[in-house]
Amino acid sequence: MLGRLRYLLLIAFIITLCSCKNKVRQIPIIDFFKTPEKSFYKISPDGKYVSYLKPYKDKQNLFIQSLADGKERMATSFDDSSVRGDYFWTFNNQLVFSQDIIDFDTFKMYAIDVSTFKIRIILSQEKVRVSLVNRNKQQPDLITIKMNKRDPGNFDIYRLNIKTGELTPYLINPGNITEWFPDADGKIRLVRASDGVNETILYRPNDNAPFKTIIENNFKNSVRPIAFTGVKNYFYALSNVNRDKTALVEINAEDGKEQKTIFSCSKADVLYVDYSKNRRRVEFAAWEEAKPRKHFLTPDIESLYHNLEQRPQLKGNEIRVIDRDSTENKFILNTYTDRNPGSYYLYEKNTNKLTKLGDINSGLVPDELCTMQPIAFKARDGLLISGYLTLPLGNKRTNLPVVVIPHDDPWRSRDSWGYDERVQFLANRGYAVFQVNYRGSNGYGKSFRSAGFKQVGGKIQNDITDGVHWLIDQKIANPKKIAIFGGGFGGFSALYGVSFHPELYKCAVVQYGLINFFTYIKDAPPFLKPYLKMIYEMVGNPETDADQLRAISPVFHTDKIKVPLIIFQGAKDQRANISELNQFVRELRKRNVDVKYFLKPNERAFFRSEHNRMEMYTEIEKFLDDNMRVKP
Amino acid sequence: MPVHKNVYRKNFSLIVIFLVLISVTFVVALFISYNLTSKYVENEFASKKIEVLEQTIKPYNEFFQNKVPEITSYQGFLDSASAAKYAASVFHDYAFVKKITFYDVLIGSKTHITVRKNNLDISVKSVYQYWYQGHRVHGNKQTRPADESDFKEMAVKLSNYIAFSDTSRVSSQDELFKTFWDVKPDKITYSNILRREDVKIYRELQHHNTVSASYKQNMMSFQLDPYLLKVKNSRHELYQTVSIQPVVYDPVDSQGDKMITEVSFPGAFSDYKLFFSSEQGYLTAEINRRFMPIGAIVLLISLFLVLIAWLIYRNLNVNLKLFKLQYDFINNFTHEFKTPVSVIKIAGSNLRGDGELTERQRKHYGKILDEEADKLNDLMNKLLSFTQLENKSITLKKEEIVVDDFVSRYTETFKIKYPDFKLHCKVSGVHIFYTDPVLLGSVFQNLIENAYKYSHPQKKELNINITHEKRNIVFSFVDKGIGIPKEELNNIFKKFYRIENQYNQNGSVGLGLAFCKELVNFMDGEITVHSKVNEGSEFIVTLPYEN
Repeated sequence: MLGRLRYLLLIAFIITLCSCKNKVRQIPIIDFFKTPEKSFYKISPDGKYVSYLKPYKDKQNLFIQSLADGKERMATSFDDSSVRGDYFWTFNNQLVFSQDIIDFDTFKMYAIDVSTFKIRIILSQEKVRVSLVNRNKQQPDLITIKMNKRDPGNFDIYRLNIKTGELTPYLINPGNITEWFPDADGKIRLVRASDGVNETILYRPNDNAPFKTIIENNFKNSVRPIAFTGVKNYFYALSNVNRDKTALVEINAEDGKEQKTIFSCSKADVLYVDYSKNRRRVEFAAWEEAKPRKHFLTPDIESLYHNLEQRPQLKGNEIRVIDRDSTENKFILNTYTDRNPGSYYLYEKNTNKLTKLGDINSGLVPDELCTMQPIAFKARDGLLISGYLTLPLGNKRTNLPVVVIPHDDPWRSRDSWGYDERVQFLANRGYAVFQVNYRGSNGYGKSFRSAGFKQVGGKIQNDITDGVHWLIDQKIANPKKIAIFGGGFGGFSALYGVSFHPELYKCAVVQYGLINFFTYIKDAPPFLKPYLKMIYEMVGNPETDADQLRAISPVFHTDKIKVPLIIFQGAKDQRANISELNQFVRELRKRNVDVKYFLKPNERAFFRSEHNRMEMYTEIEKFLDDNMRVKP
Repeated sequence: MPVHKNVYRKNFSLIVIFLVLISVTFVVALFISYNLTSKYVENEFASKKIEVLEQTIKPYNEFFQNKVPEITSYQGFLDSASAAKYAASVFHDYAFVKKITFYDVLIGSKTHITVRKNNLDISVKSVYQYWYQGHRVHGNKQTRPADESDFKEMAVKLSNYIAFSDTSRVSSQDELFKTFWDVKPDKITYSNILRREDVKIYRELQHHNTVSASYKQNMMSFQLDPYLLKVKNSRHELYQTVSIQPVVYDPVDSQGDKMITEVSFPGAFSDYKLFFSSEQGYLTAEINRRFMPIGAIVLLISLFLVLIAWLIYRNLNVNLKLFKLQYDFINNFTHEFKTPVSVIKIAGSNLRGDGELTERQRKHYGKILDEEADKLNDLMNKLLSFTQLENKSITLKKEEIVVDDFVSRYTETFKIKYPDFKLHCKVSGVHIFYTDPVLLGSVFQNLIENAYKYSHPQKKELNINITHEKRNIVFSFVDKGIGIPKEELNNIFKKFYRIENQYNQNGSVGLGLAFCKELVNFMDGEITVHSKVNEGSEFIVTLPYEN
């Protein structure tokens, strides 16, 4: 009797041991999608204070921490609207900030003196939007801002004295200037104009001379100025003129001619350049292959990064300096991995001390999250397509249920290596998550991007389908358990997938989905001829290509959809045609398609309310569970 | 005798009343159910027209709810070619669409047909017409549009919507319908629904009116012909004819004997109605068809009631017979007891009499008294043991008996008792047998007695065969008596049952065989009989032969 009992106990013990080993803890949804705890860290130019935003009464408020004694003080206590993330320090320890705009009635800009913690209003205007263009070390009280006071459609440049609140116009926008590139002293000699598609770079030698066009580009090329080099009138820029992959170059502002290529990468566009305003130099160029990569242009910065990368707590992390004091001694770092949403550190160069300031989301343990593996496959026409695959924890590597997430915004974005809460959430729930950088995605060069032109509902969709077939061929995917999930254009891809490849997908999740390309095209106002031309070239001409657009728009093909759908839409999404979507859902329901439809009256495309976000992901979890866990 | 009357009373009038009542109920039920059915059918005639209407109008609703709003999905980008394709799909699916007029509309610029309202120009760039003829879609451009009242009306509504709608919220279904739809008799005009974003842009246009570009808007007007709607009479059994008629159609003549009803079409067909008519006979046929199963059920219930009544009557009859049997038994028994008692009474009074009795007389009376007392005793024993048997209040006292001796004892006794009785006995294969001798003796006595009693005077014969069969001992009593008619074979083992004939006028109570059966059953055996009238009977007693 006793022997048998012991035997039973042993079995029970082994079973619990096994289940412990194989069972991954389900991380609550709230831990993935809650508002970050501390964010938008900035350091004061004198290096004595660190400021950041932290929720107070559900709204982001400004906090200041003294680095001398580590004391933390709440600087603002707004409970009506959050402090915006684009606040800044001036060179004389003033913090200038504004609040999220609730309505367009009044805009207020505040300043706070860190020695007194007194808040004062420095700018109060009716119905405007304002943002910072430049702050000046020599004249700390004088900041350069852009504001659309004169004409709601156009921003002009003003100088604002934060002591007196005095506002003086500096540059009046003729109507098409979209970007200004100020010198360190606040003078603006280089601007970018755009009609929405075609870009022009204009230059003037001094404030009194008129601007003259030096470079003109259509939407296929781009030149993004960074800053003047200080040598002659040369400036740094990211350009893909006459080359496939964007490179860091030096351009002569006098004639717009490219002087030399500072750095180029054969594999990808250079996406980002870190420029130090203090020392007027480019420090590194960054691009993305499978993972983010950097090329250092200054040895001291290179050694700084190398030093940081050797630290045990930062091993394997992607590190970025996000702010620094004016002596370049104290640095605020942002670090992240694919399994870590990110942390903030303070690094002091002279003492070589690294202090953790906070986590973006301390509720998540990196070990419980899943790694994101870069993958690549050949599409049916031989083009190499890359993407990312995130497998759930555990030993199982084959026959997994898969959720495919095609990204939104072709030609303007791509999926990158890094933490993504949607991906991690789904992987934690046991799904392999597959992301494809289909042709037309950004960052792989001009030709790859333009390969996606006029290929919506065509080769772009084929790339996604080919990716899924590749996953099946690799035996990673369980061919009977594949879902497709996306927002915007991704939502279109999901609907297209279930309409035209119903055998491939078990169900689809659609967030603010694009269901009609006629609607999409209509977003291009007809008086913006170049923009229209771009849209026509990228998507199609609604008159001559009407048949093609009709053939791919899901709204015309409710008869083709058979699998269950779940659709989320914010009613205030400006681009959506809600009555069309309602009609679409009604029609699907009439055809006995299982459609769950959530129309949130007070939301736009992305759900801002934490409650709505929670509800959405709870529903998605349940929906996937119902449709993917069933035995085939 | 009044007693007899009580016993044999059968109330025929009661039965008759019952039958009459059942018949009346049956008829009334039939009548009521028929009336209800006809009312029901008439109600259906009035109400099911909605179903026919729904079936008939279904394509129109589909057209109205899905096909027309599809124009919005084109967001104003329809041109003559794509509009022709759209028109072809409409003609293909919806036969009642006669003609489609397509207005290619521009917002914000002027042509020769322009509606200017609220500081906004809404104008027609071109007008196309499409129609369906000979399985082909035809279309042409209207070079000189004659009547653009449809367009003008819509343009005004559109302009008002652009100028005054609330863009801070999604417009309600009702607002959208009032703006972008125009439903007139036989005609639907539709313009693609504007998004809030569009309204904002157009409003901008309204205020500044500087931008030279114009926005496209599509407007379509569908000419409908209600007579091309396919009537789907889903209720053929109710409606003989269903037709589409103008709403004013009301034939007074020749409809006297017809049931008629009507229902108007909705929306663009509101000038027309569905007109239903059926002849009275047509409905009667339907009423009869529906009534059939109900009538059958009523009939079945009535028959069932009659059946139950007959079963009750039969049970009562059986009880009556049983009662009669017991009554007879008491009669008989009283009579049985009476004879010896009266004999004893006579003997007793003679003995008490005045005269001296001779020795011979005294002995004679003594013998009589003794015999009659024995008879009484015998009777009482029989009655008592039978009751005991029935109540199972006796127990088996098994003893070893030698079969030969046991049988010969009885045969000898009967041979002495009835000198004219030829008794033969044959025992084979058995010698010793365990049983209760008293009970077995009673069985023997009764069966031998019966054999004697029910035989013709010259043929009083009985053969007793005792054999051993498998695990049983079989006693067979074969006589050449009067036999038992076949129909009586089942009854002879019943209590108080007697076959009425000359042989049992005296001294029989109808207990003998019933008693035998009870005894044999009590000993775990069984008794059977074979018999032929006037040839003889064979009673076979089978008892378990233990050892």
